[in-house]
Order: sequence, then structure tokens, then C-alpha cells
Amino acid sequence: MRALAVGYEPILSSGHAACPGCIEALTVRHVAAALGTNTVAVVPPSCMAIIAGPQPFSSFKIPVYQPSLEASAAAATGLRRALDAQEKRDTLVAVFAGDGGTYDIGFQCLSSAAERNEDFIYFCFDNEGYMNTGAQKSSATPHFAKTGSTPAGKASKKKNLTEIMAAHGVPYVATACAGYLADLIRKGEKATRIRGTRIITLLVPCLDGWGLADDCGLEAARFAVESGVFPLYEVEEGCRYTLNEAGKTRPVRDYLSLQRRYRHATPEEIDALQAEVDAGWARLLERVAASRESGLTPSAK
Amino acid sequence: MSVGAPIPTAWTTGTTEVLKTGTWRAALPRYVSAPSPCHLACPVAGESAEWIGRVRERDFRGAWEILVRNNPFPATAGRICHRPCEGACNRSGFDSSLAIRALERHVGDRAIAEGWRFPPPPSERAEPVAVVGGGPSGLSAAYHMRRRGYRVALFERERELGGLMRYGIPAYRLPRAVLDAEIDRILALGIDLRLGAAIDRPEDLARLRAEFGAVYLAVGAGRQKRLQTLDYEKPWAIDGAAWLRRANAGRPPALGPRLAVVGGGSAAIDVARGARRFGHEVTLIALEREGEMLAQRSEIEEAIEEGVRLQDGAMIERVTERGAKSLALECVRVDFIAGAERGSFRVERIAGSEFRIAADAVVSAIGQDPDLGAIEGALSTRRALIETGEAQTTSAPDLYAGGDAASMERFVTAAIGMGRRAALAIDASFAAARRERGAASERPVPLAAIATFYYPKGERPCERRLGVEERLRGEAEVEFGILPEEAPREAERCFSCGTCIFCDNCFLYCPDLAVRRIPSGYEVLGDYCKGCGICVKECPTGSMEMAEELR
Repeated sequence: MRALAVGYEPILSSGHAACPGCIEALTVRHVAAALGTNTVAVVPPSCMAIIAGPQPFSSFKIPVYQPSLEASAAAATGLRRALDAQEKRDTLVAVFAGDGGTYDIGFQCLSSAAERNEDFIYFCFDNEGYMNTGAQKSSATPHFAKTGSTPAGKASKKKNLTEIMAAHGVPYVATACAGYLADLIRKGEKATRIRGTRIITLLVPCLDGWGLADDCGLEAARFAVESGVFPLYEVEEGCRYTLNEAGKTRPVRDYLSLQRRYRHATPEEIDALQAEVDAGWARLLERVAASRESGLTPSAK
Repeated sequence: MSVGAPIPTAWTTGTTEVLKTGTWRAALPRYVSAPSPCHLACPVAGESAEWIGRVRERDFRGAWEILVRNNPFPATAGRICHRPCEGACNRSGFDSSLAIRALERHVGDRAIAEGWRFPPPPSERAEPVAVVGGGPSGLSAAYHMRRRGYRVALFERERELGGLMRYGIPAYRLPRAVLDAEIDRILALGIDLRLGAAIDRPEDLARLRAEFGAVYLAVGAGRQKRLQTLDYEKPWAIDGAAWLRRANAGRPPALGPRLAVVGGGSAAIDVARGARRFGHEVTLIALEREGEMLAQRSEIEEAIEEGVRLQDGAMIERVTERGAKSLALECVRVDFIAGAERGSFRVERIAGSEFRIAADAVVSAIGQDPDLGAIEGALSTRRALIETGEAQTTSAPDLYAGGDAASMERFVTAAIGMGRRAALAIDASFAAARRERGAASERPVPLAAIATFYYPKGERPCERRLGVEERLRGEAEVEFGILPEEAPREAERCFSCGTCIFCDNCFLYCPDLAVRRIPSGYEVLGDYCKGCGICVKECPTGSMEMAEELR
């Protein structure tokens, strides 16, 4: 057991209104610190907007702009251009959005900003539902998960945001979570060194929405990675795939059994989820292997 | 903006730090230092998590200095300890227990090789104290009192120190160069040594009590228990301790080629294995079944490897002489039923299971009682032992007792631990203010308190032993130590139960930035902590615990 060396200035403050044990607050603590103080944040309505603080107080020691729910990427585009016009090219623009504001409502402007390769970093804090309003389903809610609006379990699969954004051919797309903190911080810092649209999907187990004990968020995140439900990987220029945690060492059942939202799942549903995860994992490994064979390794360019 | 103009509502005037979210919680984490299970299991108060942490950092001198705070015999204990620490190790519930004894031996051997010495006592004390018996317990008591500055006189009836470690345990388990080095290092502290001085009679003890402020009695257990079925007047029957004493001096008694050894403890195994080295055919007859024998598992395995035939769950009922030399041992299988107290038991004969063993001689090693001639009338006894309290106190305020004379826990390290406890009690009786840290009363750290996510699985290093043929040729040490490069690697596996390693997890994983680094470790900020417990759950050493708050 070795200590993780983290030597940066904190940007998140104590006193924010996140639930006890909130992984979103923990994640943004490290993401914001990795970006540094020369950053402007865009926070649409979401749990993050609550965490950012009730006016006139802020939990972020950087400027925060709160646009409407569907407009984060457009707001980031505008901020970027305004900063560029003021010659503040070193100031980063970062979006801290939820999955509802990304997968659903904010999707069209994110897609068009990515198509234009606008210069900002977009972090999607994916807690797999509209958790801030009492846990309704979003298109990030996974198959069979119970929410307020899918009381018998969601009938459709989760949208794969990482693959969709990779298909835009942007410079950098990645997944990360606080359960693998060194990996998360590395990816945040790496994103600051790239120009263009960068999108990082962060898995954020929601204690209340998923039905987890206050101290179990990190364990759930780790089980998601270990079971292959949420693989940690990076895609550069839409084609260079790197898998960061190579082993799929745990059955999906272990991950589901931690969470109350899957308590109703039948053995058939669990088998079906396992098959979906296996298929997704196999597809990912193919892409990793293909980019290796074609010489598209991250250092090749 | 001009003075007095209202602040726009969209402006931020300060951080959320004005909001004290600490009021939300029901429980507050505490940064603690808790005892590890290995520490609590150790008869010598091992502080294992601490010294193993030094090994991990390759600070072997630092590790040794922590070890000898409690035990002056790390190289000895690193070979012959019954290792209760490894049985208690949390790692055994994860992959395999840490090789603590092998690590201790490694550190102890380094100390001998490098010639590390104990520092002189920080100050001299006037009170004279006496220790009777120069075995592991007496030497340990003398050591601890001398390091605390007392003038110590050590009385030993034999011509050499070591007691059971010299006259009982064979060199192939404990090389004499190792034993001598660790004893010499204690003597170098300046101990008034009285060799050949037996304290046998009540008047001898009375003289000591007049001269010394406190006396520690660690006279061992020298009187052999004997089998009623054997006639010890015959040349073919001999006590195990007598056999070992002569064998360890290189001159075993002349007995016929076929030896029957009776007993299930370490002494019986030592006789059996020693007899194999002198060319005897050996049958070991134990009342207990193999799994219940008091000897350590590895000793039994090694004995069987060396060709000792084991007749477990059996006893001799009758011995018949056949001609001039040969004996017929009429044996029977028995059920061994252990009693509530260590050393108490009963056996039930299994009818119809009689069998016969041919032998030339019988060595019995079925236990020893202390010879308590000196204390007659002075102290109360219980079941042939000196009766003692928690701190090795006796019924007389100036007398303390320990080791085999006061306990049925017949382990060298248990005796060393009793010597240490007695020394601390004597010290405390002279300076009533000083007290030992009460680690034993705190709860030990369970495996569930360790965040095992941070530890890759890995097996302990395999134990390497000398080939059987080479063993039977003489006194060569049977067990090898671990390799130098293995020691820090094995120490990496230690969970450091209850001992903070300053990994920052509690600080880094707090969503509320409510854990702060301070010079002595970490501090929880009550103003902001919401009581989620992540810092407790993510601690890899069990150094954070939740405490319910009532307010």
C-alpha cells in the first residue's frame, strides 16, 4: 500500500450541500483541482448546481456560470470565444454537467459543439438518472434499473455516450471514476494538455438513487469497473483505444447485489445484463486490439 | 462599483465554508491507533505492525530497536516461537498469514551479523533486584530491569546461561552461536552474574529477600513427570530432559538401536528427532491424535520427514523384557479428551485395539513440574506451580514468579513475555507512577476494518528446509531464513493493523474536505464532517473508526 501523491490546491470548499458520502462531490473535488485555478466552470441544473452552492455562497474557488439545462456546451462555446477575444487563451473552460443534461436534454448542442471541435473540457457526472429531482430515469439509466419513472425496472439499455462522442472524432474521450483516483486525476490533467473538445464520462454512484450505504459509493464504482459494467478507457482522435484496467474479474451479479435499484432483478434479467456486459467488453477489446494492430497506439501520432 | 451600491444578486460574496454541515451527522470518525491482532496474540507484546513497517522501508536497525523494546531474543524467537501472531493475522482471512516469525528471524540475524548492541540505561537506579534462573524468562526480566537502570544480580545453578534454550532445545532448531550472541548482548549491559549458584532451600531465598528489594523467580520446571508403567531404575528407561541434555552436549546415553519416545510435546519431538540424528530407529508414542499434539505442526512434519514413526492416540500399558536387551511394549489405542485447563486431560482406552511395539529402550518426555523446594512456606502454589497474578506477582509483595515454574504455557516466548511483565511490575512497584500502555484492553482491529482493495493478493514466502539426509548427519539448522530480498517484500503484505501508515486516504477520499493533515497524522473537522464514514471504509490499516455522537 503506497500513498497517492496529490499536491495541488483545493478548489472545492467544505460546507457544500452534497449528501453525506456523495461521490459527485468527491469526484469534482479532484477533477477541479486537476484543472487548476485558471478555469471557468459551466454548471447546468443538476446535483452539481446544488453542490456549487446557494447564492450568495459558492463552494468553488473559481468562477461558475450556470446556464439552462439544455445549453451547457453552447454556453461553454460562448465563454471560450469571449475568453479568446480577451486573449485569455490559457484559461480553461470546463463543463460539470449531469447525465440528464448530457445524454438527454443537452445532447444536441454537445454534439454540434463536438462536431465544430470547440475548445473545452466536458465532464459528464453520470449518476444514471435524474437524481436531483428524486431519481427518475434518463437515457443513462441502465437496463433493468428501478427508478421513480421505471418502477418495474428500465426496459431499454443505457445509451453509450463514450462511443457516441468518440464517433465525433474529437481529440480525447475517456471514462473515469473516483474509485480509481490516480487514474481519474491523470485523465483530468491529461485533458488540460489537449486542445479541442474533450469529453470525460465519470461514473458517480448515487447513494440515494442507487440504494447504497453512505460509505459504499467507492466500492460500487470499483465493482462497476471490476465487472466490466463501466470499463476505464480512453479514445484519442476517435480511433486510438487504450484500456486502463485490463481485467474483468468480477461477475455483474456482485455489482448488482450492492444496490437496492436492482433488488427486484430476476435471475434471467441478471443473466441478460451479464450477456450485455460481456458483449460490450468483447467489442471494446476488439477496438483496443484493432487500434494496436493498425499502429494507432497513443504515441504513434 | 461605487460605495453603497447594492451587490447584484447574481454575485457570489463568499464560499460555502460559512455553512457548518457538521450539524448533519449522527456519528463522527475518530483517528485512532489500535492494537493489531498479532500484537495482542504476542506473548512479548510484539508491536509487530510497527517493526514490520520499518522492515518494509528497509530500516532493519529501526525494526530491531522496536523488537528489542519488548524481546531481547529476536533471532531466537524468530526460530522457535510457536507464532501465535501468525494464527491471529488478519491476512490469513485474505490470502495467507504474514510470515512474521521469518521476518523477525531475518531482523534478529542481521543484528547479530552487524554486531548491534543495546544502549546503556539512560540513568542508574539504586534499588537492587535479583533474578533466580538464567533461562528465557530470567534473562528477559534481567534485561528489562537492567535497561531501566536497576542493578541486577542473576543467579543460575548451571555453568552456562540459557536454561531450556541451551539444555532442552537442540542446535538444529536453535544454533548455539545465535543463542550465545543474544545472551552475550544482554550481559554486556552489565549484569552481576552468579553462575553455579543454586537457590534450593527456603534459607537461600530468605537470604536473597534480605539483600534485594525484589526477586523474580524463574526457576523453570526441572522435575520430570514419569510414566507409572516404566521402571526408571532399569538401564533402558530414561527421562527426556536427561536424554536431551546429554545429546545436546554431543554425548547421548548408550541405548539400543530401537528407541520408543513417549510424549506429544516439543520435548518429545526433540528427543525423537535427535535420536534419528544419532542413528536410532524411533517410534513416537503420543496420547493425542496427530492434530491435537502440543508440538508445533512444522516440528511434527519435520520429524516424520526425518523418519520418526508416529503412533498417535496410543499409550504403553505394559513393558516386558525379552531376553537381555529387547523390550516388548504392549500398547493400546486411546481417545484423548483434553480438559478445560491447559495440561489437564483424561484418556479412554479403546478396547480390542491392543498392539505391540518392539524396542530396546524407552525415553519419556511427558512434561515437567517445577522444583519448589526453595519457596516452601513462603508462597502459595496451585497445581504444582507458583501461583501468580496478571503482572507475575505472587502472594509475597517482594517476590515475583514466571516461566515454567509458574505457568503451564510452556513456550519460550511466553516465558520471555512473563519476564518482561515481571520487570515492568517491579519497575512500577518502585516508581508507582509508571504504567504500561494498556493496549490489551482496546479492541483489536478485525479484517473487516482493513480496506483490502489497496492490497494485491500474494502468498507468503515458502518455508525452506535442509534436505533430510543432511539433517540426519548432525546439528545443521533445519529451517532456513528468508532471503534478504524477500523480507521487505513480505513486509509489504502487512496490513499494519491499527498502525497508521500516513497514506492520505482519509484525507483524499473525504467529499467534504473535512479531514486535515496534521504533524502527528490526521484530524477530522467536526464543523464540516457529515459522518458518511468513507474515511473509515477506505483506511487500509483500520486507523479510523466511527463513534456515535450524542448531543
